[in-house]
Amino acid sequence: MFTKLARRNVKRQLGNYLIYFITVSLTVAFMFAINNVIFSEQMQQNAESEQSLRGLLIFLTVFVACIVAFVLGYATSFMLRLRKREFGMYLTLGMTRRNILSIFVTETMLMCAAALTVGILLGLFMYQGMMAVMTRLMGAPIDFAAYSLKGLMLTVILVVAMFVLSSVTSAIYLRRVKIYDLIHGARKVERAVKHPVFWFVVMLLALAVMAVSLVIFRISVADTVENDGRGMGMLASIPLLAIGLVMFHIALARSIANMLLKNRTLCSRGTNTFTLRQLSGKLNSNSILAGVLSFLIGFAIIGANVSFTMKVSEREAIEISCPFDVMLNGFEPSDQGYVENDVKSPITIEEGEAIMEEYSGIKEKIEFKAYDTGDDVLRAYTPWTGERYEGVTDMVISQSDFNRLWEALGHEPVDVGDGFQIIPGASQVGEMDFTGAELGLGGKTYAYGGTITEDYARLISEYLLAVVPDEAVEGLPVEYENIAYDLEDDSYDGMAMQEELRYYGVADYGSGPVNIEMCDYDVKAAIIAERNQFMAILIIGALYIALVFVFMAIAILALKTLSGLSDDRHRYRLLSQLGTDEKEQKKTLFRQIFSFFFLPFILPTLLSFPVAYLCGDMMKQVGIMEGIGEVYLISTIITVSVVVIYALYFTATYLISKRNVIHR
Amino acid sequence: MDEILKVENVTKYYGSGSVVTKALDGISFTVGNGEFTAIMGASGSGKSTLLNVISTIDRVSAGNIFVEGKSLADMKESQLSKFRRDKLGFIFQEYNLLDTLTVGENIALPLNLKRTSLAKTNALVAKVTGVLGVREQLDKFPYELSGGERQRIACARAIITNPALVLADEPTGALDSRNSRILMQTFEMLNRDLKSTILMVTHDAVVGSYAERILFLKDGRIWSELNRGDRDRQTMYREILSVMAGLGGDVDVH
Repeated sequence: MFTKLARRNVKRQLGNYLIYFITVSLTVAFMFAINNVIFSEQMQQNAESEQSLRGLLIFLTVFVACIVAFVLGYATSFMLRLRKREFGMYLTLGMTRRNILSIFVTETMLMCAAALTVGILLGLFMYQGMMAVMTRLMGAPIDFAAYSLKGLMLTVILVVAMFVLSSVTSAIYLRRVKIYDLIHGARKVERAVKHPVFWFVVMLLALAVMAVSLVIFRISVADTVENDGRGMGMLASIPLLAIGLVMFHIALARSIANMLLKNRTLCSRGTNTFTLRQLSGKLNSNSILAGVLSFLIGFAIIGANVSFTMKVSEREAIEISCPFDVMLNGFEPSDQGYVENDVKSPITIEEGEAIMEEYSGIKEKIEFKAYDTGDDVLRAYTPWTGERYEGVTDMVISQSDFNRLWEALGHEPVDVGDGFQIIPGASQVGEMDFTGAELGLGGKTYAYGGTITEDYARLISEYLLAVVPDEAVEGLPVEYENIAYDLEDDSYDGMAMQEELRYYGVADYGSGPVNIEMCDYDVKAAIIAERNQFMAILIIGALYIALVFVFMAIAILALKTLSGLSDDRHRYRLLSQLGTDEKEQKKTLFRQIFSFFFLPFILPTLLSFPVAYLCGDMMKQVGIMEGIGEVYLISTIITVSVVVIYALYFTATYLISKRNVIHR
Repeated sequence: MDEILKVENVTKYYGSGSVVTKALDGISFTVGNGEFTAIMGASGSGKSTLLNVISTIDRVSAGNIFVEGKSLADMKESQLSKFRRDKLGFIFQEYNLLDTLTVGENIALPLNLKRTSLAKTNALVAKVTGVLGVREQLDKFPYELSGGERQRIACARAIITNPALVLADEPTGALDSRNSRILMQTFEMLNRDLKSTILMVTHDAVVGSYAERILFLKDGRIWSELNRGDRDRQTMYREILSVMAGLGGDVDVH
């Protein structure tokens, strides 16, 4: 009998439980998609060899489980709150608490089963979408991604476990609650807020705290880059931002609405007083939640921005550090502890070129040398001075060698005349001023004649390289003997080629000689593939977390709004009886819901501007100048996407509320 | 005396198909300006239905209702909202006040909806709360007041726009006898001193005895009418009991 009752209840109340159903379905879809990614064959293989990846996947699995637990638990408690009066009525009619629980559990089970099915079906598509984005980011062709049975089972087990847990919690509640409290409920009463001006000042202070957290973040990035700092400031700025956001919303709840209520002229117009009181009550009782949600959305926007910034930076950094398809690096100073001076690669240049021919074919080969000036004149114009850089000297390249390389990269040859020019191996160098610098080479003095800014290229393993007239290098010791290769084909297996060019060498880091894997060749395609793999996982992970955070925030706001509908229904009936027409009621309801929905969202959206600026600044700090415009564009797309998702959920919530509340 | 309310041959059906109930059956009566009229009857006699159609919360199935000469049947929904706002005042049994607004804001709300100026609103609120003796409670919230005090606030809100008609549906239903008496004395004062026209539904004989005129409903029709004339309240009370006994319906007896 109770199963029949439960089934009938679910059928009749599907419209009201739409948001619950959508929330649970989407949670299941997210979970199914990410579990399939985590347990995909390729990911598991990568995790076996890559410890940091293993750690990341474990974190994601636990994170997903926590999200599921929170969302399902919250959604189920929302359902329970919505039906309190009804259950109270059943009890007064003679049903036992056990009967009530079995009805509720059966209903929730039916809803969960339906949401699980719909969620998995949705997740099938979501997973393919995620994999398509990931393979695209990796630079691989898009193909159908196989599903994982483990991923499916974990999803089902998690949902069932959370359902059981929330049923147990509901059982405990239903066992203890008094019938009177079920029927009459805890009346939400408005309490007067004292000192709204004080809270307004606290609100401004909270904004200052947030600004400070952004400043600390910026300073910490600079410290990490310039002074090899540990980046503790970056970590500290996150909880500071969270505190600022929560503080802001607590203060906002106690200040703005109450200050506006003191404006008698404003309050005397139409339903303004009613709207402000509704908002004030809702904000007061949900201020901490609003702050937390605001932080989640902010964290989502920041995380997504930072991950894309890292992707763009990576790409630009690779373009600078690998201007050619393959670079054979010459010897490096032995005091770096990397390899003994007289150990050469067992792979000869001819053998290396044969391997390259096998994979792609060599279009152009340019041999060049870099010379050690024995001096650190140019370094004095950079931040790279002091004890740490003792012994590091300036490198030069002859104009003719440089122009062969430069023309191969598609640029016009340079003429340094009687002076020298700097070719930056990093964007920072391009911003430095070497005015007044003079190099004394071969008994002649060469003055600084400018920095080549058309493009940046790291031709040797140093950021700073000066192009000098050919005669200036006579007599200077050769520090680097490199060969730059341009290959025929663009699409070849760079990782496999790099693997073939590897060998084992000997290094001594102070604890005795050890065998290490070596490769004298920098294969651009291999570097891109390796970095892309990691970046793809990072970006997908960041986007997934961002999406889940945003979704969670708006789902909670929607559920909070809908759980207050029965009280609102009565209030709007009263308004109607006092002479408020349908149009005015709709306007009032819209303003009430809109304000509550969007207040936790405004600050994170505004934060996206300084975050985009900081991301661009971060790139400059690490020497990447190109691609900053792309970062701003991506930041805009992320913010707009969040706004669109928010607007869709808000629209659904408003339409459901309107249907239930407006009195005609 | 001017006619404030005219109910003309009103009939109201509920339900459809095979389950149709006739709640009102061709009722006709008038209420003059400044009258205090009660509608009494047993449960299911049609009292609340009659009040609902007069207050425009519900529509009649047949007949018409005129308030200050204006036909309610001819009005569209938006016009009815405006009409309720400008011409009617309501006092219900429970949940009269918006729990999220202060007492002062609750009382001022009908004026806010009319877009009355702030100065005029303040003046009217001061006047009405002075008359009803609730001025000290303006900054309180409804939850801080007793049931009787809340109903007095509801009275203040009901009369603040100087409506043509004040409608009260079982106003003492949730009150104890002491507060019921205080509320009815308030109604008497509103009617006597402020010349408010009041139409009240009640099944309580004591409460009904405060009215000048009582219409008794049975099965959706006016069964009998009682006018106080020179009778005192006690005598009126006894007369009500005897009419109710004749009706054969239930009534609250104290």
